[in-house]
Amino acid sequence: MILLFLTSGLFLGWSLGANDASNIFGSAVGSRMISFRKAAIIASVFVILGAVLQGSGASVTLGKLGAVNAIGGSFTVALAAGITVYLMTKFSLPVSTTQAIVGAIIGWNIFTGNQTDIKTLTEIISTWISGPLLGALFAAILYIILKSVKKHSSIHLIRFESYVRTGLVVVGAFGAYSLGANNIANVMGVFVPAFKLNDLDLGIITLSSSQQLFLLGGIAIATGILTYSNRVMEVVGNQIMELSSDAALVVVLAQAFVLFIFSSSAFSSFIERTGLPPFPMVPVSSTQVIIGGILGIGLYKGARNINFRIVGDIAKGWVLTPVTSGLIAFFSLFFVKNIFKINVGTTVAENGDSILRGTTYSSSAMGISEIMGFLITGLLAAGIIIVVLYFFAERKKKNELRKSEEKFWKNLK
Amino acid sequence: MALFTRTTKNLILKIDEFFDNIDLGLVVFREGIKSYLDKDIDAFERHIRKVEQLESNADRLQRSIENEMITNSILPQHRGEVSSLIDVLDEIIDTIKSTLNEFRIETPDIPASLNHNFISITESSISAGEELIPAARAYFKSPYTVREKLLKVYYYESETDKVSRETRRIIFQDMSDLDLARKSHLRYIINHIEKISDNAQKAADLLSTMAIKILM
Repeated sequence: MILLFLTSGLFLGWSLGANDASNIFGSAVGSRMISFRKAAIIASVFVILGAVLQGSGASVTLGKLGAVNAIGGSFTVALAAGITVYLMTKFSLPVSTTQAIVGAIIGWNIFTGNQTDIKTLTEIISTWISGPLLGALFAAILYIILKSVKKHSSIHLIRFESYVRTGLVVVGAFGAYSLGANNIANVMGVFVPAFKLNDLDLGIITLSSSQQLFLLGGIAIATGILTYSNRVMEVVGNQIMELSSDAALVVVLAQAFVLFIFSSSAFSSFIERTGLPPFPMVPVSSTQVIIGGILGIGLYKGARNINFRIVGDIAKGWVLTPVTSGLIAFFSLFFVKNIFKINVGTTVAENGDSILRGTTYSSSAMGISEIMGFLITGLLAAGIIIVVLYFFAERKKKNELRKSEEKFWKNLK
Repeated sequence: MALFTRTTKNLILKIDEFFDNIDLGLVVFREGIKSYLDKDIDAFERHIRKVEQLESNADRLQRSIENEMITNSILPQHRGEVSSLIDVLDEIIDTIKSTLNEFRIETPDIPASLNHNFISITESSISAGEELIPAARAYFKSPYTVREKLLKVYYYESETDKVSRETRRIIFQDMSDLDLARKSHLRYIINHIEKISDNAQKAADLLSTMAIKILM
């Protein structure tokens, strides 16, 4: 039953992986700098690491916006966000998982009579604007630095490109880690208040209740990356403006920085110590940050070849996505509560306690921690097998090519 | 990663070696024509053998460079253009080889009074090719300088056209003692030598657009 309730979050995670991995590796794969297989493996591993190790920050902020305190509510909210993402993608409308989940949570707040924390909401909405702006700023600065280094170093084009390729892998891994850390809140954030699981001791690391959920969400995102992101990467690559490989590197790095600063509590407290206002830990839309980055480079280059309609699309998304998602969540909650008679949550009192406790689940009843243990062992084994198979497949391909080349020159003689 | 660094280094060396082959081929061609006009057949044969060796080496390098770029996904966005550039440069050494072979097989009878003109056409045509090589190397290391380097290629190509036009005029208008077949043969040989600078210009056009693209 528990897994049935989680399916909506897992579906949301899958669609996030399928769509947003293309933001990180889309340009690199689209331009054939990195093979899809390599990109997918790197992205999957690092998205899970980011989700488990650093996913709690942004999730806490979403919890402040609306602590969905019943499993039925979490399921419906995640489902509403998932349906919004699906519908808007189907009708080619701009969509962000972040905005969809925020809208759905507000829908839940309205349905259950909970107050929406205006301060948190303002914090979240301000990052929708500051995220792309910061992306544009970082990308423009990084691009200027990279161009200057390239011009003054007289480095050979092929060597430069090999550095860019290595950079794309490293930065892509960082980007995937940041995506996992920041966007896992969209996928699993609404389930955190409703699930209470026992800590899972893995020997070297102990996973808390929320980390176990984030691990599941991370696996769902990774599945999305491995199964469906290929076609999205092929298409998304050069949609806004044709990107060179070094521009692609800069854009992904800028995006990774932005996602990182909006999900790292250590960075936030560092900024606070310097006397500046701290960055809120909020899930931001990776797509919009990347669009900001591309526009930043485009503006530096003189605003040629930019599809400015995309800027209007972002602004449209700020309104359209949360409203659609909020409406779907509100009506879905109505149906789930009144037709299926499932508790979808209750009003939370001023001191934070539920006036009427929602239906939460504990791990002792379901043994989900044991399932997690098996899952992690299986994942590790599968990971090792994939890496070994990949190594041998690559070696075989190279050997065959070398043999055919030797045969060609032998016959020519 | 170490393996990839080695691949990159090998490819850079191969591209440099390819350019060296074309550069040397141009020098050997100039010496070959001079030795033919001086009627030093041994030296001429030696130069032909050298050009054949350079051309075959260039072919091997061309194939190897293209293979490595494809199998290791190197320069995916510029691969097609780099391959085209290498192809056009290879046409230069192919033309050098075929022109020297025309001399060997057809042994054109060049009047001594035209020796100077033939040397001038060869010099300017070869110079167009020689000026192209630094520009092609610059594309990989300092693309900002490519276009200024190409100016000399266009200059020598136009010089070749002028000298060869003048030589053809002399052959057909001033040398009434030559029969038409011999005149036509000489014109045919001039066209062959001229083709080197034409190929250089073709490569310069390509390099010019490649440089713009990489700077954008």
